[in-house]
Amino acid sequence: MTGQAQSMKGAGDMMPGVAPTGDGRSWMRLIDWIWTVRGELTLPAGQSADEAFARLEPFFREPGTSFDQAAGSLSFTKKDPIAQDRMSIYDAGELRVEQRPDGGILRYWMTSRSLLFCFLAPLLFVAFGQIIVGVGMLVGPETEQADKKKKEEKEKVRELHWIDQMLGAPAPEKPKKDEKDKKKEEGKKNRYSPTSAYVFAGLFALLYIIGRILEDRLIRKRFLRSLAEG
Amino acid sequence: MNGVRVGNRIIGAQSPVTIGWENVPKVEGGPFKRLFFTWFQPAVLFAMIAFWYYAPNSIAKASTAIGIGIAFRAFLLALEWVNPRFKSWELTWKECVTDLFYVGLGYTILNLVDNFIGSDVLIENLLASFDWDKFSWFTGLPLLVQAFLILFIFDFGQYWMHRGMHNWYPLWLTHSVHHYITQLNINKGAVGNPVELFLIGLGIGGLFDFLPRAALLAGAIGMSIGVYQHINVRFNTPAWWRFLFNTTEHHSLHHSQDFEATRSNYASNFIFIDRIFGTCVDGEAELLGMEGGRRMSIREQMLFPFTEGWKTMKEKLGKSDETHAVPAE
Repeated sequence: MTGQAQSMKGAGDMMPGVAPTGDGRSWMRLIDWIWTVRGELTLPAGQSADEAFARLEPFFREPGTSFDQAAGSLSFTKKDPIAQDRMSIYDAGELRVEQRPDGGILRYWMTSRSLLFCFLAPLLFVAFGQIIVGVGMLVGPETEQADKKKKEEKEKVRELHWIDQMLGAPAPEKPKKDEKDKKKEEGKKNRYSPTSAYVFAGLFALLYIIGRILEDRLIRKRFLRSLAEG
Repeated sequence: MNGVRVGNRIIGAQSPVTIGWENVPKVEGGPFKRLFFTWFQPAVLFAMIAFWYYAPNSIAKASTAIGIGIAFRAFLLALEWVNPRFKSWELTWKECVTDLFYVGLGYTILNLVDNFIGSDVLIENLLASFDWDKFSWFTGLPLLVQAFLILFIFDFGQYWMHRGMHNWYPLWLTHSVHHYITQLNINKGAVGNPVELFLIGLGIGGLFDFLPRAALLAGAIGMSIGVYQHINVRFNTPAWWRFLFNTTEHHSLHHSQDFEATRSNYASNFIFIDRIFGTCVDGEAELLGMEGGRRMSIREQMLFPFTEGWKTMKEKLGKSDETHAVPAE
């Protein structure tokens, strides 16, 4: 059975299969856990491959999804899946049913560019941090010169409107000269500070760990529920 | 689909929308839940105003504002989980990663670019080269008036920039990317092509001199109103609030798959600007996006204005070639 207009040509040839192939590309197995989700589920007693795939079919009847089902296996690809697609993080994959004397087993592997992107995002933000530091070093002296050229700011303390005075809002304070210089220096430092970039690098590292565990469990739970539903 | 007549326009002929407050669902649940989701928005707004109005100078600082902003967004994320407006808008891991990527861009590389070509820098240079002074009379006004004017001046400019983006193709190319989102979540406002994010941030606020406390008040008021534009929480927003301020309902219509609905509710904070210019439509929509809800990858979001612009240019040039071609006989 083929879903959507186009079928997929040998997805299993393009990426390592469910089981290790032992060919030259098997070294990929060492790192492809980063973007690949694998798993196996025991089918309910007496459930055939066709019945199992029929129950899982709604997962592949989504906009932007193409699938090809034949001889106990189903391969799929997704292009720009909508946010509401329950498998939106996956771009391609294969599901196989193996029949054993004690019952059927569904094995699956699915690849996700989103997982890979999130894995690499910390590096990107560290690079951003380095760029910010680099630019700060480049423009630092120029800014100082420009600052020197600027006129002396008026030392006058601004007064609050009488309504604000009446309502009790704190009046603006006249900044002390050394405090002012300190603030200026801090402002300049903040403008070219890599801290936010490093915070986001950390956030994405954390999000990757969460996503890698969560999405693995979620798809397993969803497949199990669909297979068990009468 | 027949749609609903709103003024001279038919809204919802292409995609389902709900028009009129009386048709928008209310918060369901116990009395505490209903009370909470009715008064949460005004309570936060007035609490923010009181805090920033009376906070001692040692606390009334930009760093405090950033801290409160982050904590408030984290709290709203939890609210999205507690009382979602639509189940189909529930935040997924992938959406969270995508949204945070754009938030991250805003805090890092776009911020860096803004140091050189942001509107404040341009205005500062303009004032320096013509030896002008800022409009310092601004600082003599009451704090809340200053804060309102800071917000209103920005929002008024933003309204026309946003409306321009929906009516002029080159600007639309940059903004269209933001309209490919298919759900509203707290950080979705950050999703868009960087060119648009830069354009939408342009303002003439730098021409005015104001008290730092007024700027902090403006920031807090803006956050307490604008943050609800992109949020998946159902509120029983009070009538006076939705008459004055932009809400999730208004903004969901703006993001609807219905073309006419998208040409409404342009203001960022003050929906009364839309009411003044006749572009306000009250209601909500669940089905959002473009091209039937197709989701764009980050790569496409980055390149779309350029690739699409190039395609259109080639088509136009191709057409003009055809026009000039002379038939053989």
